[in-house]
Amino acid sequence: MRNATGPSPLLTAVLLAPGALWFLGLLVLPLGVVIVFSFGERAAVGGYQAAFVLDNYLNLPARWTAFKNTLVLAPIGTVVCLIAAYPLAYFLAVKARPETRTALLILVIVPFWTSFLIRTYAWMFILGGRGLPSLIEWAGLGEVRFINTPFAVLLGIVYAYLPLMIFPIYVSLEKLDKRLLEASEDLGASPWRGFMQVTLPLSAPGAVTACMLVFILLMGEYLIPQLLGGGKVFFIGNALVDLFLQSRNWPFGSAVAVSLVVIMLATVSVYMRFAGRIGGARDVSLV
Amino acid sequence: MNKRDFIHQLWRYKRGSISRRQFLGATGLGLASTVLATTMPELAGPRRAFAGELGDKVALTSWPSYHDENNFKAFTEQTGVNIELAVFGSNEEMMAKLQAGGTGWDVFVPTNYTIPDYVSQDLLEPLDTSLIPNFDASAYETRFTDAGTVDGKLYAISKDWGTTGYVINGGKITDPMATWKDFWDLSMTKYTGRSMVHDYQLTTIGNALKYYGYSFNSIDPKELADAEKLLLAAKPHLFGINSDYKPSLLSGDAWASVAWTGDALQLRRDMPDIRYILGQEGGEIWSDFYAVVKGAPHRAAGYALINFLTDPAVNAKEVLFHGYPTADSRTNALLPKELLEDPIMYPAAELLAPLEFGAAGLITNEARAEIMARFKSA
Amino acid sequence: MRGYAALIYVFLYAPILLIVVFSFNSGFSASDFKGVSFKWYAKAATNTFVIDAVVNSLIVAASSATLATVFGTMAALALQRVKGWVRTVFDGLIYVAIMVPGIVIGISTLIALVSVFGLLNTALVALIPALAGPEPPLALGFASLIAAHTLFNLALVIVIVRARIAGMDRSLIEASADLYATPWRTFRQVTLPQILPAVLAGFLLGFTFSLDDFVIAFFVAGSKTTLPIFVFSSIRRGVTPEINAIGTVVLAVSLILLFGSQLLLRRGHGRPRRA
Repeated sequence: MRNATGPSPLLTAVLLAPGALWFLGLLVLPLGVVIVFSFGERAAVGGYQAAFVLDNYLNLPARWTAFKNTLVLAPIGTVVCLIAAYPLAYFLAVKARPETRTALLILVIVPFWTSFLIRTYAWMFILGGRGLPSLIEWAGLGEVRFINTPFAVLLGIVYAYLPLMIFPIYVSLEKLDKRLLEASEDLGASPWRGFMQVTLPLSAPGAVTACMLVFILLMGEYLIPQLLGGGKVFFIGNALVDLFLQSRNWPFGSAVAVSLVVIMLATVSVYMRFAGRIGGARDVSLV
Repeated sequence: MNKRDFIHQLWRYKRGSISRRQFLGATGLGLASTVLATTMPELAGPRRAFAGELGDKVALTSWPSYHDENNFKAFTEQTGVNIELAVFGSNEEMMAKLQAGGTGWDVFVPTNYTIPDYVSQDLLEPLDTSLIPNFDASAYETRFTDAGTVDGKLYAISKDWGTTGYVINGGKITDPMATWKDFWDLSMTKYTGRSMVHDYQLTTIGNALKYYGYSFNSIDPKELADAEKLLLAAKPHLFGINSDYKPSLLSGDAWASVAWTGDALQLRRDMPDIRYILGQEGGEIWSDFYAVVKGAPHRAAGYALINFLTDPAVNAKEVLFHGYPTADSRTNALLPKELLEDPIMYPAAELLAPLEFGAAGLITNEARAEIMARFKSA
Repeated sequence: MRGYAALIYVFLYAPILLIVVFSFNSGFSASDFKGVSFKWYAKAATNTFVIDAVVNSLIVAASSATLATVFGTMAALALQRVKGWVRTVFDGLIYVAIMVPGIVIGISTLIALVSVFGLLNTALVALIPALAGPEPPLALGFASLIAAHTLFNLALVIVIVRARIAGMDRSLIEASADLYATPWRTFRQVTLPQILPAVLAGFLLGFTFSLDDFVIAFFVAGSKTTLPIFVFSSIRRGVTPEINAIGTVVLAVSLILLFGSQLLLRRGHGRPRRA
């Protein structure tokens, strides 16, 4: 009998080579350059000049507000997304009729297929002075302003990431055995108790994964604050772009980038350890 | 007939304003000279530079609402070259892209004070004026064109000039406003949440400096610290930080904004109530230029585009559209008198007197860049 | 519950409805409806820059998704047998690739490539003088953009395909080997059919990601304009309904593809199985 599961090391190496090369050239090298640059100095005309100084890291508190905005709005955005998505995922998995379920699910993904930028532009119009505020004023409900506020940014976030939140929750709820719920009712539990003791724990892994996905994306958000926040609601992503495209301060920008990545890795590992207790580590793990 | 006249006639012929027959007559060529043309390189040279080898594309990097689209269409009809327009909100952003390289830009529109820095970084091509026959240096007012020449070499030719003041929506704001102090004070009190400033270091910091009566160009650390204090205090009261402020004023979201001459004029077309105010303390007077990027991939088409836009008839249409004054007397001769007397375009002498041109070196100044970035991320 | 679901769908579709409605605007603005017209569709269809941007986006998306699918599947197949430090390193890299925000990937790739190209260009021109000219031999463009998109897609494909391999029936592979099939034949006839859904899903996800990515492209595309870059600069230039027309067409094409594939799948399922 030939050894089917143990091919030559050569074959393994060949199979892994292109991927390894890619990771090396486009992940390790760029991140390495960023780490090296983060200890450098800004050249007189902008850009990078070799040096070894800690100034860029010491200067990080100058971007405190951007870090704070991100660290506050990313979790809030994630939680609001979760609260908005959960009932719909539950409805789709448990209450919707099987005939319409597929269609309804597809309708959740379809928005993903129009350009994200065009959709966000539509929100710029809806939230701008000629959109909703003019309707509200016309109805005599007073003068309001939405665009360029944290509310507008939060709304853009929920809009953009809602489908990402709905799917994983739906998938874990779909596996739910409805007989369990019936059993719990037969045993005299109220529907609410059934939900709390059966449904919610079963859907936890999906919710935990979805939250992490959305949270990761939110931490690096740039476009939504840029377009709906009008330069008023700044995320770290915006501060980063500013440092590269306006100030041309590559070393400081690199230090901000390194800090962002470190914060993300730390937050996500803590989250995974904590969430592992809820959902079982295997389901939460990304890789 | 010299080369320039010939090309001028050639252009008119290609534009269709004269017939082939008139063209041949006017250029004194006739049948015999068309034969000569094939043997004389001087005649064949410039024609090839314009008619052939232009390709089908040219990349122009400029500013929002700064060109008449009909002129672009005419250029494409004449030459077969399509114009790819990109617009930016600050000179810093343009420089960042050029420094990183590989932009694919051919022609771009830098502001006066940036040109020495571009030249020292070897990012501009010294202009070959033989490819821009429409350009006549003697027709321009020199104080707006000087900045295009560095170390005796011409790197950029004047597009237009203007001032930086602020606009207010007269339907919403009735207070008498005349100074930068008025702008900042009212933005932070009575009209909180309604004012905008540029996403642009030079004008935003410069006009904050004017609040205290400092130079628009100051790099004095103490004066900059004062300006930063004002900016940080104003930040929560601003509607937005954006160099493209017209849409927000038109939609009624914003009622006031730091603004450039032409934007004020354009806004007035849709909002007769708009007022343009130059702070009595002073502020910025500037001029914008056309320059060719070193290593431009469509160099010939880039020159053809600059030449086209420098044609006084074309430039006059540009001015009618964008509302910025031009330094070219030939163009002004074609413009209606009301426009040349418009107080937005040509403010009173006592308002113009204290204005300053942006100073060389500010574009690369680290302190000002960092203050702007801190203000935005605050 | 039903009412809440309806509300969410209204929320999801309100902006899209707006995009579609304004694409038929005869006026000049994407916010002021003047009358019904198809002129913006005609305009978009004849605008060379729109066509360029669409073609560029499709080339980049197809190339990066293909590269990522091939290399990612290869890596996933190899990784199932690898243990020890190689596996740990790969797992770490995949984790980091997914975790690092697009904006950091875009910026770090930009400054790394600009620095490396700067050195290489000097060396190349010194070695081969014929390369000297106004344009440097190496510059940002298609290659850098495709490479950067492939990185993220690669991580995505490896994760998806590995999950599938983990759930695969291994006895078939062993049986095939017992029957003296070559490893290649085993792969083609046994492994591939089993992992194909995951491979295709990875390809599609990668394609979609690349097609809609703005932040990475914004930094590493050099002079190339993709559709999101075109839309972003249009927002700055002032949006006309041309953008809405483009958005509507993109939506329509995706819907046709979606329902087409659904239909095909259903027909595939409906075919009677031979025993």
